[in-house]
Amino acid sequence: METYKGYPASRGVAIGKAMLYHPYTPDLSSRTSGAAAASRLAAYDAAKEQAGRELENIQANMKVESPSKAAIFAAHIDILNDVVMDGEVRSLLKNEQLVPSSAVAEVFTRYADILSNVDDSLIQERASDILDVRNRLMRILEGHLEQSLADLSEPRIVIANDLLPSDTASMNRSMVMAIVCEVGGSTSHTAIIARSYGIPALLGLNGAMNKVADGKEVIVDSCEGILITGADDALTDHYIRKLDKYRKQTAIIMRYADNMPVTTDGVRIEVGANIVSANDDLPVIAARADSVGLFRTEFLFMGRKDLPSEEEQVEAYRRVLSAFGEKAVVLRTLDIGGDKECESLHLPQEENPFLGNRALRFCFSRQDIFRIQLRAAYRASTAGNLWLMLPMVSSLGDIKRAKAIIADVLTELDQEGKKYCHNTKFGVMIEIPAIAILADQVAKEVDFASIGSNDLCQYTLAVDRMNPAVTDYYQSYHPAMFRLMRYVIEQFHTQGKPIGICGELGGEPEAAAALMGLGIRKLSVGPESLPVIKKLICTHSIRQMEQDARHIADFSFADDIFSYLSSQYQMDR
Amino acid sequence: MYTKNTTITNDTGLHARPASDFVRLATQYDSKIYIGKAENDVKLDAKSIVMILALALKKGTVVEISADGSDEKQAVDALIGLIESGFPEDD
Repeated sequence: METYKGYPASRGVAIGKAMLYHPYTPDLSSRTSGAAAASRLAAYDAAKEQAGRELENIQANMKVESPSKAAIFAAHIDILNDVVMDGEVRSLLKNEQLVPSSAVAEVFTRYADILSNVDDSLIQERASDILDVRNRLMRILEGHLEQSLADLSEPRIVIANDLLPSDTASMNRSMVMAIVCEVGGSTSHTAIIARSYGIPALLGLNGAMNKVADGKEVIVDSCEGILITGADDALTDHYIRKLDKYRKQTAIIMRYADNMPVTTDGVRIEVGANIVSANDDLPVIAARADSVGLFRTEFLFMGRKDLPSEEEQVEAYRRVLSAFGEKAVVLRTLDIGGDKECESLHLPQEENPFLGNRALRFCFSRQDIFRIQLRAAYRASTAGNLWLMLPMVSSLGDIKRAKAIIADVLTELDQEGKKYCHNTKFGVMIEIPAIAILADQVAKEVDFASIGSNDLCQYTLAVDRMNPAVTDYYQSYHPAMFRLMRYVIEQFHTQGKPIGICGELGGEPEAAAALMGLGIRKLSVGPESLPVIKKLICTHSIRQMEQDARHIADFSFADDIFSYLSSQYQMDR
Repeated sequence: MYTKNTTITNDTGLHARPASDFVRLATQYDSKIYIGKAENDVKLDAKSIVMILALALKKGTVVEISADGSDEKQAVDALIGLIESGFPEDD
């Protein structure tokens, strides 16, 4: 029996069979073979047949759980049987000594490029379907086993090096019992998606792929942050009971999911949700949340080679805005930097990506991209209640500059006769210490602000939140954090401007209580945390929270603050 | 050679399931079948889903379908009929 520690990115417990996920990457080079045309054609035919069977299988499995996903595979079958591409592959195999896999690569890649250049975003999306079928054929021709999270037919605990947006977007959620990755942290893409899907996840577990045997039973405890292999009966029983208890507690907390968040002494708190446009349970979230305190837009730019067009962005933003109706949706402009993989943006390779040309700074240096996003956001504003928010603001100069660009963009829209909502609120993230210290001045220049506690902590404590070597230094309950946030809250209240929090801290009941005690009345959390935060609010009083906030005001150690708050706010999770 | 024109009426154009239904019908006929926009000379193989998608036939486009072979008239009429039906949703 072995126990391994990982970062518990998404709470939960799972006991099940491991699946080692090795995504196949095709070799697109042009390879030749001395074999006769007949045998190479035969290999291609056999691969086509197998691909067809695989796709029929997946489609049949999917029809029940998700008819819309099943349609994607129907399209793949059409592409597989396309007469023109098939004819060209055969031609190549007859006339040249190409290996079947390379012939497929050549033809399919070419047609995928043709489609990605068509002036219709829906057709452009089909280009990736051609690439998917190409990869399937090449994978079969090269003798690799099929591995897809999309067509998991039995529940598995997925073990991988990392998961791409395309993996998490297409995975069969009901069959993924838990996720374990070798890389990643609390704010990585996989973490966010796992939390929003309610799937337990352990990240940053070095060497996981070598520590787990495919098909063997493992236990994931992502409340404590451990992975257990080869557990004996006694331990497995213990976890079966823990899982049961966890489910029961979750059910109790879930009873608060649809409640209105009002404290026992009658103070109404606005509880919003942090979302990405890929969230396909928007109606559920819209029913449970008062607003969207953070609509992350970088997901539109990730996992693809080309940039999202203005129209594509307008559509994505409108979809979210209309799902929330009158409820505010705080759209954060592109917040990404060199620490993330993002082909479409050609991000600079930097020594210090967190201190570099990222987010708003990147947008200032690529105004072509920035303006399109701003145009799309304003054009979409007529579909709902848009609040625009800028990340990574480090000076009033940044605010002034952004406002000038926005004014110019709006003039452009006026000239084109494109409609937008004129009272769209404008705000900033408070995540850089400089701007937190100047909160009094910032509050005069904006309509609202939101505290980005993850980055605020990182920058204030000078700790790289993605660096496992210094995790102990990333103390989100550090007394300096509370002092700084208290100042920001007070200044915004003095100016009569709304101040909220959208960082992870707001989703932790212990911290949320202290923050409400300091005066915060707006919290925005991951959708999975809505129930527990509502439970916190509905079962406690502001008076108590204020008392507790005062109590910790002079503490010197993060541990003491956390101990005190967790003893006061036992949420039985 | 037999040719006929019609206008695309359904909202998403000849895309996804409509394109699939179109190709499925076209392949049932022996004749060589071509599809293209009436406004230009680009005519592509109507039995190829990739060609149909590459044409990006949106709502409002006037499309020309032509066929050459033993069942050319039936093929063209059937395909025109399918487009004119607007590809109703079956579920």
